[in-house]
Amino acid sequence: MIMREKFSAGLLCMGLIVALLPISAGRSLSVRPQKLMVELLDEKTYFSVDQVAKFLVTEDSTVQFFDLRSPGEFSAINIPGSINIPYNELLNNDPGRFLSDENIKKIFYSNGDFDSNYAFAIASGLNYKNIFVMKGGLNEWFKTIMNSNFSGDRISARENALFETRFRARKMFSEINSLPDSLKVKYIEAKHIAAKKLDGGCE
Amino acid sequence: MNLINKYRAVIAIILTVLILISIRLLSPWHFKPDAKKWAEPSMLRSNIITRGNIGTLQGEKLIINLSNKENEIRNITGDIFNIAPDSVLSKKDLKIIKSHNGPILLISSETSVSARIWMLLSQKGCRNIYILTDDKENEVLKYKFRPDTITRPEL
Repeated sequence: MIMREKFSAGLLCMGLIVALLPISAGRSLSVRPQKLMVELLDEKTYFSVDQVAKFLVTEDSTVQFFDLRSPGEFSAINIPGSINIPYNELLNNDPGRFLSDENIKKIFYSNGDFDSNYAFAIASGLNYKNIFVMKGGLNEWFKTIMNSNFSGDRISARENALFETRFRARKMFSEINSLPDSLKVKYIEAKHIAAKKLDGGCE
Repeated sequence: MNLINKYRAVIAIILTVLILISIRLLSPWHFKPDAKKWAEPSMLRSNIITRGNIGTLQGEKLIINLSNKENEIRNITGDIFNIAPDSVLSKKDLKIIKSHNGPILLISSETSVSARIWMLLSQKGCRNIYILTDDKENEVLKYKFRPDTITRPEL
């Protein structure tokens, strides 16, 4: 009887505490603020559009792009191979499904710089590693990669390599985004299969 | 007294839990609970303001210049406060930010820095913070993509 009374009293008080205190079911940033600040100000957490173009044309398997725009904007155009996580929904669903693999470089992009950097701060604050942002977003992508133009009489080897990468990225972006939605996924899968065949070597 | 003795184990547990929760909620070494709540103004885009709309903000403005460049703060009236981004969480600076009653404007030459510092301060519980930008349409795609309907890549 005495144990039961004690137990009931304990449960009642715990219930009161839970009811009165501002405890939220929502996720909170778990990293220490000072540590997060260092990461937010690290220049190495940005990739330029030229670096992203290189990842794209080399089909780097250690890289995954994340498109933070709305589903409608994503289905209109996107960087091939991207996964769509609208920024507004980043904290609704469990982002760990996509962000927890520490071996993959996860590159966030949106149309500009706001959403991708907000999402970066949140993801880093939730202690996910290897997160980056494509600087300037798709606006910078269009300006630098899609509308790339060389002017001048001479081109250095370095510039030539840069424009070659931009050209290939532009071609890949245009080809895949011109496909109907049903064919986009098939195209990317087919390219991966073709690449694997070449990697095989002699048997 | 008899009652306290009788339930001392329960009281001890409850007090411990209360103290731990209070430490977690009030600690300066942690962010506020519920990240989504503190990120909401960014999702609604209500935290972005242009120079033309500054007049719509009520109250004395505190301008935090993160880039330390004078031309960023031209033609803006209010208390101007130059802070390097890496000292925005220092005890002294954070106290000034949190104790300010009016709107707080973040200015930087880099939109990405403003966005990141905004999120950092908001998650620390700072309210009424805005990012001052000349480009309110930063998140609008300014280019039109023309699909290539002629060539078809082989599958």
